[in-house]
Amino acid sequence: MLHGVDLSIAPGEVIGLLGENGAGKSTLMNIVSGSLKADAGRVLLDGREVQFGSVRDGIEAGIRFVHQELSTIGSLSVAENIFLGDYFAGRSGLVDRNRMTQGSLEALAAVGLEHVDPKTDVDTLRPGQQQLIEIAKAIVVEPTLLILDEPTSSLTPFEAKKLFELIGKLSASGVAVIFITHKLEEALANCHRIVVLRDGKLVSDEAAKATDKARLIQHMVGKTSVFEWGGSVMQPGQPQVEIRGLRDEHHLKPIDLDLNAGEVVALFGLVGAGRTEFMETLFGFRRAAAGSISIGGVPLRLGHVPTSVRNGIAMVPEGRKKRGILPSHSVERNITLSCLESLSRLGFIRGSAERTGAARLARALHIRMATADQQITDLSGGNQQKAIFARAVMAGPRLLLLDEPTHGVDVGAKSEIYEIIHDLARKGMSVVVSSSELPEVFAIADRCVVFSRGDLVGNLGRAEMTEHDILRLAFANH
Amino acid sequence: MSNGTSNAGSRLGAILARRETSVALILLLVLIFMTLANEFFLTQRNLLNVGRQASVVAMVALAQALVIISRGIDLSVGSVIGLSAVTGALVAQETGSQVLGIGGALSAGLACGIFNAVLYTRFHINPFIATLGTMSIARGISLLMTGGIPVSFSGWASWFGAGRIWGIPASLLLMLLLAVIFYVLATRTRVGRNIYATGDNPTAARLAGIDVDRTRGLVFAVSGLVAGLGGLILAGNLASAGPDLGRGYELDVIAAVILGGTALAGGRGSIPGVLLGALLMALLGNAFVLLGVSSHWQVVTKGLVIILAVAIDGVRRGRED
Repeated sequence: MLHGVDLSIAPGEVIGLLGENGAGKSTLMNIVSGSLKADAGRVLLDGREVQFGSVRDGIEAGIRFVHQELSTIGSLSVAENIFLGDYFAGRSGLVDRNRMTQGSLEALAAVGLEHVDPKTDVDTLRPGQQQLIEIAKAIVVEPTLLILDEPTSSLTPFEAKKLFELIGKLSASGVAVIFITHKLEEALANCHRIVVLRDGKLVSDEAAKATDKARLIQHMVGKTSVFEWGGSVMQPGQPQVEIRGLRDEHHLKPIDLDLNAGEVVALFGLVGAGRTEFMETLFGFRRAAAGSISIGGVPLRLGHVPTSVRNGIAMVPEGRKKRGILPSHSVERNITLSCLESLSRLGFIRGSAERTGAARLARALHIRMATADQQITDLSGGNQQKAIFARAVMAGPRLLLLDEPTHGVDVGAKSEIYEIIHDLARKGMSVVVSSSELPEVFAIADRCVVFSRGDLVGNLGRAEMTEHDILRLAFANH
Repeated sequence: MSNGTSNAGSRLGAILARRETSVALILLLVLIFMTLANEFFLTQRNLLNVGRQASVVAMVALAQALVIISRGIDLSVGSVIGLSAVTGALVAQETGSQVLGIGGALSAGLACGIFNAVLYTRFHINPFIATLGTMSIARGISLLMTGGIPVSFSGWASWFGAGRIWGIPASLLLMLLLAVIFYVLATRTRVGRNIYATGDNPTAARLAGIDVDRTRGLVFAVSGLVAGLGGLILAGNLASAGPDLGRGYELDVIAAVILGGTALAGGRGSIPGVLLGALLMALLGNAFVLLGVSSHWQVVTKGLVIILAVAIDGVRRGRED
């Protein structure tokens, strides 16, 4: 993941760490904080080499990492969360509530939550407030190095301002801060130095005053693109899918989108931009709050996956293990799952039709297996993913939704999956691929639709697609 | 080693690795031991008696197996047996109609099953909790309906419970018929496939277009209906429907399902395995009666056998990891 990264930070310094999804930011910080081990290289603290066996070791050495995902425990009080694992319990083993409350009040005031009662349960607070509780927890004992992973993504502008004041104070008292963010202005305004990672390499390390937004995007994008575009040369097909004002109950703004037959459309956006939510709402897996969808001119009943599948939508979800495979089932039964209706007569599955159907797709998608009766978990990750693909394709969809289809598959399987996507488009399917990797977008897309903060902010044809413009749009609402 | 023998070897290994095999082996040991220990054991009359005793547990276990394969559990079956029997008996008594009595018993069972299904799929109550509630409600209603006093239930119901066809107990034949139907359902039909898929990975099944809620609702409804049939048979056999009928049956039923190799985590299990499990439970009961051992020991032994069968399985799997 990482390739020979050198980075140093002085006491009181604030560094902004930038990079695309998967550039290696979190990996690097996990190594520094002790939750991952480096394959090579050293971590020096005050000039002495340290080797952390666990996060606990890191914390004892004064390194605190506040993760992007909340790790507060909802059923415990604010005070108990702040002092989690160390309740001032004396020799008696009893928790000293007074000292805990007192300490919490100070920590809460520091992060701008002076109005929160330390005795309230954390799950009654907003996510943004919970994020601040995590930061409070990290600074109860003043750390040497504080790492914050996208701390402002769930904060209101006012809370964010308070947080930056706190970071300023910590910096003044000698705490080093590393600050991972996607918001370029935020980094430029609040950091001393800005470091950019790309593909696991450190590509730039500049003073915040000496750089600007355009330059940072340039660093993040680079220009290497591994895969050649094998896109469709056919004329844009007939309009096939019409989406109007579609939104879910939480994340999405109303989305309009038209899809043509034989077209591959990439959905690009940062993590949390709403791509998955959009796809799931379109598919009926997530409840739609408003909007309409029609396929081939026929309106679709929203919010019911079996209806969507019957009317020609299929989806390959992100997260093969959790949401894709049936682990105790054979490869064959995994493949045929979405089209049992057409394989059966009067409710009875026709065994021979099932066998030949699954075999045809396994061949077409080059699934490497000993027999179709093999349990799917015996296959490699890439071949499992191709089996899930086969399932979606076998349903005979007119609209195929792919959510991060190449996550966790190796390079070989990746290029095979790209070929499959193009083949399917050539047969007249509309294919929508959600991707957070720009090289992938360029390898497959006829068109790129950009999401930012739950809104569709850009729709670029192949000729207009540049890495710079796509990223600029993705950061549009940040 | 040639390819052929290694293949045969691995196939044999696969068979040995199944829990059904452990249970079949225990079953065989009990059979051999009992044949040697008691001359009455291997008589037609006794074996048919074992079959009759096994039939209600086996029937209800067949339906329970589908519930557990779909990653649910139905704790209410024992109480539903009682409520169905009482309902059937009272309806027959009030209307004087045998058909309505039988219909009443089956409808009461089905209604309980649908109630569970609605609690689970519409109100998203964990099936363990939902059916625990139904278990108590159904038992309470049977007590209320009867005032705690058994109701006589003879006529056609006795045929289900004690009747014979060609000398074979009708309940045993009914159980075998149900076993064939459930086997075909589980292995050959789309509904069966949906049940396995739902239990193996509900999210993946939903995303593949399977109507997970309908599948879950169906298995609970079937479980209730079959429990209703069980109540009819048990009451018919005694010619009386007591409000306490079927108390504790849920444990025997779930034990038979688990003994038969069904995974509580869902997605795996077989109908023949469930039959083996139910048969073993009945055989143990018979053995204790024939050997004249206190029935209190029977309770302890049942528990031990369940733990033993699952432990053999667990130890073997543990070694694989």
